[in-house]
Amino acid sequence: MAKRGKLDITYDILKTIQKSNNLIKPTPLLRKSNTSTARFKEYLAELTAKNFVEKTNHKGENFISLTNKGFKFLEKYSTIVNFIDEFEL
Amino acid sequence: MPPFIEHLTMLGFGAELIYSFVIIICSLMIYFGTKELYELSSYKGIKYFRLSFLFFAVAYFFRSFIKFVLDYFSLREIHEFSPMFFGNLTLFAFMYFSSLAIFFLLYSVMWKKWGENSSRIYLFHLSAFVISLAVILLRNSWIYLGINLILFVAVLSTVYISRKDAKKKTKGHNLYIIYLLLSFFWILNIIDILIPEFLQTIQFFIYLTSEFIFLMILYKVLKKAGSD
Repeated sequence: MAKRGKLDITYDILKTIQKSNNLIKPTPLLRKSNTSTARFKEYLAELTAKNFVEKTNHKGENFISLTNKGFKFLEKYSTIVNFIDEFEL
Repeated sequence: MPPFIEHLTMLGFGAELIYSFVIIICSLMIYFGTKELYELSSYKGIKYFRLSFLFFAVAYFFRSFIKFVLDYFSLREIHEFSPMFFGNLTLFAFMYFSSLAIFFLLYSVMWKKWGENSSRIYLFHLSAFVISLAVILLRNSWIYLGINLILFVAVLSTVYISRKDAKKKTKGHNLYIIYLLLSFFWILNIIDILIPEFLQTIQFFIYLTSEFIFLMILYKVLKKAGSD
């Protein structure tokens, strides 16, 4: 299996959130994202900083959900990948 | 030479202006057409690709379009104040930004192989600066041709190495040909500016082919970046 790039990992994390009705706790997200805890924390911090995901509090528990920009990324993911492939970037 | 061909080859400033305008519009459309893809992905390859076309737009602005802008806004005095200084300044800017454009286009394809290194970016700027300075100061046709030949050999070997490494891939083959043509016609453009008498008879064809290459890249970009 080919090594996942940053773009693929971002897609996997965001897709997992979307599949969980756009509301998931950090621990199951870490488990499903197939990355180490340290890397997951880095990714989550970056995705939050870039406004792809937001942390919400629901009945006293922390959840992660996608923002509009996160949904936009999922929508455009195949276009981005095709573009990179086409121009060998 | 038939009168029709002779007429076509004797291009004036108007034709050069239209030519620069087409290249600037194509380059800016590529730059802004890929803005969303970069903002969403923060992918380095897309960043260098976009920067390359931004530099092409700036370079062609300095090639001839700046004279039109100065005329349009009635600022011709700036040009007339010292035509030699103005000529050298715009030539320096054209050489600097067009060299950077080619370096960044190569880097957009090779950045993964060469590794991400900020010193490489400084090297591009330094090389572009040295090339531009050499062109302004040395004023020797053979040195111009030599510099361009070295640059073209560098582009050719980079593309060759890249193709060799990716020889299993069939996709992207046309793209390398387009990039090679782009580099080749970029060099012809530079020779056309620096040693006008050298390519005077085929100037019209250089313009047309260069425009065609940019339009082809724009078409590919819009087709890929615009599809959902």
